[in-house]
Amino acid sequence: MAKYKTKGLDCWGKAKELRQRYYQDYKEAHDRGALRWEGGAWSFDCIPQALEGEVHGLTEEPYGASIGANPAMQVRYQEAAEGKWGCANDLCAYLRNYWGSIILNEYAFGGEWPHADFIFQNHICCSHAKWLQVAGEIAGGEIPYFCFDVGVGPYDKIGERQINYVVEQLYDGIEFLEKVTGRKIDDEKLIKRVHNTYDSSCYWAKACEFNQAVPAPLDEKTMFSLYVLGTLEKSSDDVANFYKDLLYPEVKDRVDNQIAAVANEQCRVFGDSQPPWGFLRVYRYLEQYGIVSNANLYTMSLIGWWNINEKGDMVPYPTLEEQGVTLKTREDALRFLVEGELKGKLEWAPFYGATYKNDLTARMVKQWKCDAAIIHLNRGCEGTAQHQMEMKIALQKLGLPVMTFEGNMADQRQFDEARTDRLIDLFVKETLGLKKVA
Amino acid sequence: MEASEILKQFQDVWENRHDYGRDWKKRKGGKVLGYFCTYAPEEVLYAADILPIRILGGHETPSLVTPHMFDMWCPFSRDCLNQGLQGKYDDYMDGLMETNCCLHPRQAFGAWIVNKPYLWSYWYVMPNAVRSPRSKPFLRGELEEFKKAIEEWTGKTITDEDLDRGIDIMNTNRRLMKQVYELRKQDNPPLTGAEAMTMVWASQLMDKREHNELLKQLLEALPNRKLDRDPGIRLMIIGSENDDRPFMEMVEDVLGGTFVIDDHCTGSRYFWDELTPEKDRLQAIANRYCDRIPCPGKDWGMEDISRKRFPHVLQLAKDYRAQGAILVQQKFCDPHELDIPSLRRYLEGNDIPCYFLEFEVTVPIGPFRIRVEAFLEQIKAEELFG
Amino acid sequence: MTVAGIDLGGRNVHVVILKDDKVVAKAAGATGIQKAEAAGKFYDEALQQAGLKRGDVEAVVATGSSGPRVDFANGYIPDAAADARGVNRLAPSARTIIDVGGEEGRAIKINAEGKVQDFAVNEKCAAGTGTFVDTMARALEMPVEEMAKISLQSTTSIPMNAQCAVFGESEVVSLIHQNIKKLDIARAVHDAIAGRVASVTRIVGLEKDIAMIGGVAMNAGFVASLNRELGMDVIVPDDPDYVGALGAAVAASQGVFGEEVKAKVVEKETIEEGK
Repeated sequence: MAKYKTKGLDCWGKAKELRQRYYQDYKEAHDRGALRWEGGAWSFDCIPQALEGEVHGLTEEPYGASIGANPAMQVRYQEAAEGKWGCANDLCAYLRNYWGSIILNEYAFGGEWPHADFIFQNHICCSHAKWLQVAGEIAGGEIPYFCFDVGVGPYDKIGERQINYVVEQLYDGIEFLEKVTGRKIDDEKLIKRVHNTYDSSCYWAKACEFNQAVPAPLDEKTMFSLYVLGTLEKSSDDVANFYKDLLYPEVKDRVDNQIAAVANEQCRVFGDSQPPWGFLRVYRYLEQYGIVSNANLYTMSLIGWWNINEKGDMVPYPTLEEQGVTLKTREDALRFLVEGELKGKLEWAPFYGATYKNDLTARMVKQWKCDAAIIHLNRGCEGTAQHQMEMKIALQKLGLPVMTFEGNMADQRQFDEARTDRLIDLFVKETLGLKKVA
Repeated sequence: MEASEILKQFQDVWENRHDYGRDWKKRKGGKVLGYFCTYAPEEVLYAADILPIRILGGHETPSLVTPHMFDMWCPFSRDCLNQGLQGKYDDYMDGLMETNCCLHPRQAFGAWIVNKPYLWSYWYVMPNAVRSPRSKPFLRGELEEFKKAIEEWTGKTITDEDLDRGIDIMNTNRRLMKQVYELRKQDNPPLTGAEAMTMVWASQLMDKREHNELLKQLLEALPNRKLDRDPGIRLMIIGSENDDRPFMEMVEDVLGGTFVIDDHCTGSRYFWDELTPEKDRLQAIANRYCDRIPCPGKDWGMEDISRKRFPHVLQLAKDYRAQGAILVQQKFCDPHELDIPSLRRYLEGNDIPCYFLEFEVTVPIGPFRIRVEAFLEQIKAEELFG
Repeated sequence: MTVAGIDLGGRNVHVVILKDDKVVAKAAGATGIQKAEAAGKFYDEALQQAGLKRGDVEAVVATGSSGPRVDFANGYIPDAAADARGVNRLAPSARTIIDVGGEEGRAIKINAEGKVQDFAVNEKCAAGTGTFVDTMARALEMPVEEMAKISLQSTTSIPMNAQCAVFGESEVVSLIHQNIKKLDIARAVHDAIAGRVASVTRIVGLEKDIAMIGGVAMNAGFVASLNRELGMDVIVPDDPDYVGALGAAVAASQGVFGEEVKAKVVEKETIEEGK
């Protein structure tokens, strides 16, 4: 008999529906007189979405990931990027998917490539600004382009100077948007959108915090499908409500009633970076051995905002209500938005050194009670694969068995599935000494 | 001194950089600070009498690095870290700084300071949006904090006079190297591309005051130097960090081409833009680093998808009458990988034929020779029949 | 008790038969395209040597990259697990194993009981494998054994790019054109691969003793290069290419049959992808 109760998430269907609608809306936007913009998952979507009238965005990374999960499409798109455009095959795999999609004039969700009206991007890793710069070039070169810089330092070094720099750029961005679209930014909408961004980012973190419970209510494979909404449009009412009113109470209920993600949980593993998207079945394999992958800085903080509290624990970043803040003006909205992103998105901390990654990792494995780590050395994304080997050493020093495997989140040509199967098998049975429990 | 002797001295510094570093420390007793990318504000370091040295390639199989940085990181960064792990800098380098550069050296820096925790280390947040008007005041603030950190480290206040001295050392070095480059416009340049770039590498490795003295002598001697060689095809070399002398020598000595100009951060991009002095010294330094010809990683605009570097590269090609360009890229170098397909189209659209090569720690000279030879033949054929 | 271990790799198959914990027969050969058939063929050959029939063997455990294809085996264990058991039997003091075969170079950290603690494997390419050695020997126009022998006479170290077998080959050709002595080139080849293999080994750490196994361990020139690179001498057990098969046989005698490697039960589920 299974150790714990388990069941699927009730809100799963809603998550699926929201994602589908997002890509559909983007495609149909022009038919409805709405604006279309391209940006990144970290692009502060609340700014362009606060333009008057109907606006729809396309975030580059989740779009590239969607293609990554479809092997036939992926190979065609990547070959177009490498063959027709001539780019290196070791660039970000999402980026190559995205460029290939434009080159082939195909939208992965049906029809021709839907050209955007403008680009509103931000930059922290090597690829972001350049990704859409080149995308704009491939698409004809005429597209208005704005990109702001958020690479201003790690969460614990954020002060007024850093916040001012980003806020000032956002004011420039607003001027740019108004100029190229002929529409105004609606401050009421902006304030609401920033509020939603807080809810999405903080409530996702709160849901992830529940994963400290034994048994863990969520496994990473499920979490991947949930955080994605925050990478699409975290400033929308639907997404914010999903995290706050659907997911959060449901995960809380699972903890209260000991509903496990993995019914025979006996080992909790820590992950890092994105998985190879075509290889998610590995989590089902791990389940048979009672292994739940329950914590990963990437999964938890790609959109989730966190704080390090006085005790040194990683805790969800406070919502505006918890801070007792009411946003009244454009200035309020922009400052709080920037402050939340720069201080709360701990996924950005490893951009400033291995020390940050090691430090956060050490806190997480302790708080989330992880017994081992399985690290995907991700050739597809340098941003999330930073300091992985140094992190491996740090985890081993903490006494955790660690296995690594090389792969690529969205380029199956750089992932040897059979070999990875063998490695995981070896790790589970030999190093962890686990036997099948289901 | 004859030009060849001076150029040989530059080569010696490049080949025996650690000996130079140790010797400098013995002679001057000052602190030595390593940096990875050319956004390090060396003006402030010279103001504090610190010797800034760039961590450059060692070109040996990096056998110690894999446990700390796996194979997907650029071979140059792996090579740099490997030298650190080997302890090559242990007896003379006091600190290491990072300048918010691309993700690859960030790995090398991160692992280096974890494994050599006794080093003074500093993360200097050079903004990415150098073409935004907001970057200059931000960088000024960053410089203020950096200056303070350096003062605490050395125990010595940096005055305006000190900064003026630092600025003067740097600007002099830039001006003199540009004058040397100017001579490469001649039909038969008095120095090869390998020699010219070695001069720049030496500048990044040695005390610029000493480098400046050598440059002055070089500028006197070069007009009298006649190289007993046919310059052949005039080439431009463009791309990632490049300190691969054997490759350049192969092209110039064996294949008979000449690199007359480059666009590398180990070449012209390092020194091309001088600093314009103003009363607020830190602001002047900030302006220089935001306005310089950017690394491709920072080359993006605020209104459109234009690049600042491309027209500059084309202008260099025209000014130096390059007949073709070799685009070299360190394997996995994202900033250049992102620009190269566009740059190639841009240059070829402006009648500069291009050839692409991917570099690693050690370059396979044999296969590269065959490829470059074919490229030179293609240019010759075009000259003849085009 | 009579048991068998079968190591079915990408290029070669090795069979070991243990009777009452003693090796009574060994057989090996190329797998060819029909890998499963080759396993059966060499298994029967080994049985014949020992004067046994298939029915006399109580358990068969397979290992190696094509191990799951051995349809007559009772089970399969991953190669590293087999290596660990084999080395623990032959060289109990070993805590680090370097196994360089035709298609893979790997390093394994084990504890005193022969349990795998950490594991690292070379990139998915020929550099750092036996295939690279073979390719370079071909470029030098000599058998691998000859290349191994002459490299030991070299006293000169020449750096060589071993990132890629294709480049490596043309580099060997250009070294020949530069009139570099073949013995020095042979050493350069071994040094270059040893550098790659040592890199992988350093990922798991260089805890003593280090045992080197796999087909390439029989190449004394390579072992000399590896010793130089690591700054210590590795232990090479007898018949280093049979260690995986021996380990599989040991597992069989311990009743460790492993399981199928594939998670076949996974039903195709709709999964939405994230960033």
